[in-house]
Amino acid sequence: MAQPGGVTVGLPSSTAEAPTPKRGFFNSANPWLWLSPALIFLIVYSLGPFILNIVMSFTEFKARQKTFTFVGVDNWTDLFQDSRFHNALGITVQYVVVALTIQVCLGLLIAVLLDSRPFGVGLMQTLIILPMVTAPVVAGMLFRLLTHSEFGYIDYIFQNLGIVTKDEPLIGGKGVYALMGVLIVEIWQWTPFIVLIVLAGLKSIPTEVIEAAQVDGASAWQRFWRVKLPLLRTVLSIAILFRLVDLFRVFDYVAILTAGGPALHTETLSYYGYVNTFQQVKFGYGATIGVFLMVVVWIVAFSYIRIFRMKW
Amino acid sequence: MATANSTKSRLGVGHKSESEWRSIQRQQHRRQFLNRLLLTIVTGVIVFIFFYPIWFWVTASFKTFTGIFQMPPQLLGFEAIGSWWSTVIGGRSYLEVVHETVGANAGTGGGGTVGYYIVPFLVNSAITGLLSTLVVISVATPTAYALSRFNPSGKQNIIFFILSTRFMPAFAAVLPLTQIYRFIGWDDTRIGLVLAHVLINLPLAILLIKSFFDDVPTDLDDAAMVDGCNRWGAFWRIVIRYVIPGMGAAAVLCLIFSWNEFLFSLYLVRIPDLSTLPVFLSGFDTASGGTEWGFLAAAGTAAMIPVFIFILFVQRSLIRGLTLGAVRG
Repeated sequence: MAQPGGVTVGLPSSTAEAPTPKRGFFNSANPWLWLSPALIFLIVYSLGPFILNIVMSFTEFKARQKTFTFVGVDNWTDLFQDSRFHNALGITVQYVVVALTIQVCLGLLIAVLLDSRPFGVGLMQTLIILPMVTAPVVAGMLFRLLTHSEFGYIDYIFQNLGIVTKDEPLIGGKGVYALMGVLIVEIWQWTPFIVLIVLAGLKSIPTEVIEAAQVDGASAWQRFWRVKLPLLRTVLSIAILFRLVDLFRVFDYVAILTAGGPALHTETLSYYGYVNTFQQVKFGYGATIGVFLMVVVWIVAFSYIRIFRMKW
Repeated sequence: MATANSTKSRLGVGHKSESEWRSIQRQQHRRQFLNRLLLTIVTGVIVFIFFYPIWFWVTASFKTFTGIFQMPPQLLGFEAIGSWWSTVIGGRSYLEVVHETVGANAGTGGGGTVGYYIVPFLVNSAITGLLSTLVVISVATPTAYALSRFNPSGKQNIIFFILSTRFMPAFAAVLPLTQIYRFIGWDDTRIGLVLAHVLINLPLAILLIKSFFDDVPTDLDDAAMVDGCNRWGAFWRIVIRYVIPGMGAAAVLCLIFSWNEFLFSLYLVRIPDLSTLPVFLSGFDTASGGTEWGFLAAAGTAAMIPVFIFILFVQRSLIRGLTLGAVRG
């Protein structure tokens, strides 16, 4: 729409003729139109099961009639008195704390070593990724062989170091070291994750900062503790968040390596929930454990995100 | 030499000839080289400890029956045979291979009835992975664009909701899903499993691709819209071209996670015709005697190799993907 006098103002005509905003949902300027396919899918597939889980946690499944009967809060009161549940909770916490500590320390060490540019650093980085992308089931099987009390070389090394004995191997026996056996797989598979994250963080530190510290006479040790580590806080907190969430849910290794045994020494929450649901067909109680675990993970994850003010 | 002179005067060192300086320099270089060599050895040993189990597994699939159990294990130069692979990939009879590798009397024990022919399960895994990846990428890309470009009210909450599905314990979702599937008749169907894998991978793909969209300047959209595109046109004709590497990386990661996924595959599909590879592998009894190890090593290696090849292409995006775009590798 040109001006009546035919005088064009310096603007290109297209801005003057901005397309009149169409109203309605099916308009490509409406963000909800873009978001709806994914959101509908996620609501159906994740909120749906979650709500169904909550509902089921107030019921009991009668296997013979194949029906659910409403039992009120019985499952929940049972849960907090169940000593096997307490055991599973304790083992999960133990598992999370030990694995996280070792993974973070070892991951930091390896990342710093790789960051000091040894020869063949590219090859080493590629090799260290491989454990991470191995299927957990395959990793579990592999370590079941490697920790075999007669033929496994890890068990052989541990026996020679005097950590385990012939009667009490890593996996098997009375189960004293079974959790350690599961932790070995966990640490083997996911320490590289911390390594890669820390490496990414170290690379993003501007060289000026390091040089400035060097000029001020900081030793390599001081440069790490006083300069680099504080700057790694953000990436480390993200790494810990993702490990924390995955560690709380640990299932595959336990299922493949030990099946929770011997004598419940490796039964984590996820595995106990699975035992109830799929082996003992106590769907209601299994769902209760599922809801409990899910809520715990969410509380941990989201308070963590709030505390460290993470943004996506 | 200016630098040499200034260093000398600063340190108060006496006069040194040029050749002496050069030898000092050479010494320094040598010390640096030795330091780096030491660093390489230490790092190499640690990396090797992490890599070794995989190497053991791959080589075991080519070792003879006695070779597998040799202690300490042989790294290289072992006698290589293809018998285990001829069953796992080639479909030769289990008993025939056991007879050939272990000896006449063995092989009658555990697992005699187990088939180790994995090709159908490889195919199942590939089909499930490809279909779910296709769905994930086509749903995730527009969503990621919207999350990157628009600012709807409660955007951060939407992102938290997407994250929370990533944090869901698998077994807590499996039980309700089996019930729902039984109700609508989707139990033991491929579409049910594919959609479950979509659930696992969608949060990763959305947030990863969003981080790639965030790297593309919004001026590009504005320019496209000035030129007469609407939002969809700006997205589909212009901006999407710049995130194709990101979409590729997301696709490969989704493929890998679908390939590796265990619990959903185990409970949503319980007929062998549709079972994926990890489910099939988990059925092997590794605790019983050693006759099975060669087959297991070959089957496990067959499951690992495709992933290793794929990961080489997206190595640099791996961390970005695993942290849902929060850390850029």
